[in-house]
Amino acid sequence: MHQDGSTPPEHISVVVADDHPMWRDAVARDLVDAGFEVLATADDGRSALARTRATTPDVLVLDLNLPGLSGAEVCAALAQAGVPTRILILSASGDHQDVLDAVKAGALGYLVKSAGREEFLAAVRATAAGEPVFTAGLAGLVLGEFRRVKAAGGGTPERPVPELTDRETEILKYVATGMGYKEIAATLFLSHRTVQNHVQNIFGKLQMHNRVELARFAMERGLDLADPTSPA
Amino acid sequence: MPRDAGAEPVDPGSAVVPASLDPSPAGERGRPARLADDEHVLVRGLWRAVDVFRWLALAYATWAVWGRHGEIARLGGAVAVLAVLAAWTAVQTLRPMRTVRAYTVELVIGCSAILATRLVDDPEVITGGAKTIPSIWPTAAVVGFAVLRGWRGGLAAASLVAATSFVEVVQPTANTISNSIFGLLLGGCIGYCVDLARASHEALAEAMRLDAARNERDRLARTVHDGVLQTLAFINRRAAELGGEAARLGAMAGEQETILRTLVSQTDLAEVGRAVSGDADLRVLLRHVERAGVQLVAPADAVLLPRRVADEVVAAVEAALDNVRQHAGESARAWVLLDDDGKDVAVTIRDSGRGVPAGRLDEAVGQGRLGVSSSIRGRLADLGGSASITSGPAGGTTVELRIPNRRTNRRPTRHHGDEPDTRPSRRGTP
Repeated sequence: MHQDGSTPPEHISVVVADDHPMWRDAVARDLVDAGFEVLATADDGRSALARTRATTPDVLVLDLNLPGLSGAEVCAALAQAGVPTRILILSASGDHQDVLDAVKAGALGYLVKSAGREEFLAAVRATAAGEPVFTAGLAGLVLGEFRRVKAAGGGTPERPVPELTDRETEILKYVATGMGYKEIAATLFLSHRTVQNHVQNIFGKLQMHNRVELARFAMERGLDLADPTSPA
Repeated sequence: MPRDAGAEPVDPGSAVVPASLDPSPAGERGRPARLADDEHVLVRGLWRAVDVFRWLALAYATWAVWGRHGEIARLGGAVAVLAVLAAWTAVQTLRPMRTVRAYTVELVIGCSAILATRLVDDPEVITGGAKTIPSIWPTAAVVGFAVLRGWRGGLAAASLVAATSFVEVVQPTANTISNSIFGLLLGGCIGYCVDLARASHEALAEAMRLDAARNERDRLARTVHDGVLQTLAFINRRAAELGGEAARLGAMAGEQETILRTLVSQTDLAEVGRAVSGDADLRVLLRHVERAGVQLVAPADAVLLPRRVADEVVAAVEAALDNVRQHAGESARAWVLLDDDGKDVAVTIRDSGRGVPAGRLDEAVGQGRLGVSSSIRGRLADLGGSASITSGPAGGTTVELRIPNRRTNRRPTRHHGDEPDTRPSRRGTP
């Protein structure tokens, strides 16, 4: 059943990881009802990692606060293992450092759990298509991260930290004040596709920031990822 | 060992007072009368030292009397005085009493022993500079008072001993004066150390209490996060699909979820440090504007401004949001974005409402209805910043406040904020 009236999703496979059984089942059921294929569910970080690696779904719907491994750690480990699965973070706790960490570690999108069912399904589709799922809150965090890295003096001469272009900054600020891609496209006289490309570039630069850090992190698991300001 | 120190306040001069009837033998409010287990380790060490010192002082006094027994007129009296001192020393060893009352008794015994020298020695011997019978034994009482009552207690007890010595010799000798000064110094210094130790002990206890409170809050936040928030979000979501009455209940659950989420995410201890340093974090100051339909969007790091400036900015944001409420319609949503690009701190307030028709703001100024324009632009101009109010093609109004950030080339630190003026001098000590 496709209550949202949208076209039936092309075959999209999903793994759902959430330690809250009620929530996990509801999410899985919504996905199945909407025509997605739920390959597996997981209730802690380790099984989320193991099952995602085993089944390589299109999308991993990942709760940020799992026992065992945190959401950011799961993302980092998947990126390290070269698993092509795209990750959508679901969190009940709002827009915070741990969300930013997970996105830097390779998650493609982020949604608060209070989002509606349709919004959630649309986010899973967008994630499967490789489109970043942005909330205003996440955009604010990402913008702050670029500001922080720049203020800290950027990277090393051999490895400069990619900075945002003025246009990317502008778009990020629009997203951070609640504008949708369509609205932004109309305001800037750009195509919807161009705006999306900018957003994807922003994500790419963000993840480039700490790719090296993450590779190291994945090996020395247990490092404090919550504080990216430390040179580590 | 002060294992039951003060637990059974024994008064040698009167009937034994049950501890339950005399909870405060020290007789002073505001300070723990029982110097028990939570007492600072330094204080406990001093008590042990006093107990040992008393024996050494007794041995020294006995040796001194023995050494000059030939010149003592009434040797029996001197022995009797030493016996009293030995008895008290034994009592304080077998059953240590760390109370003001016990040490008052000891001080009286010590001073009486000094005065008794007058009875057992000939005046010429005393004037000649002979030692008193108790010699340094009363010093134990001085140190005891210093430990009990800090530097004031130490000085008071030392003064009493010194005064007694002067009375005893009648004509002060060099020994009398130097001993008195020595006693005053000892009482004052030890008392001062004890004061410091107590203060630091209290500070430590307070820090531990705060830490425990924070841990408890974190634990609660986790519990709320793992259970309550998830459940409320779940109810909200399912109820919306059921519709009708359930949808209304679900919306209530959703509201509560938002409130709770904001509450439990307030776990930044560094806020305290910034509050002390005089800088304010805009993220914290603007937290209250967040409610249904208004979202605060902020970086993970603090957005710091001097307190006075920050308060003005908050007032401007409130004015802008108030304007949204009045003009953009009930259903309008609003976002407040905080952005510190290193040069300026920018606060952008955007709403999804109808927007301001071009020229309407200027018109309002012309009509004398200053409203938004004056309150926002005026405030920002006072701060050396600027405010721009625009209306987008997609509808809705965007108010952008820019405040120059005087802390240029600051390194964002998550753990403390510096006053801009004092930065250079504090650079090396993060």
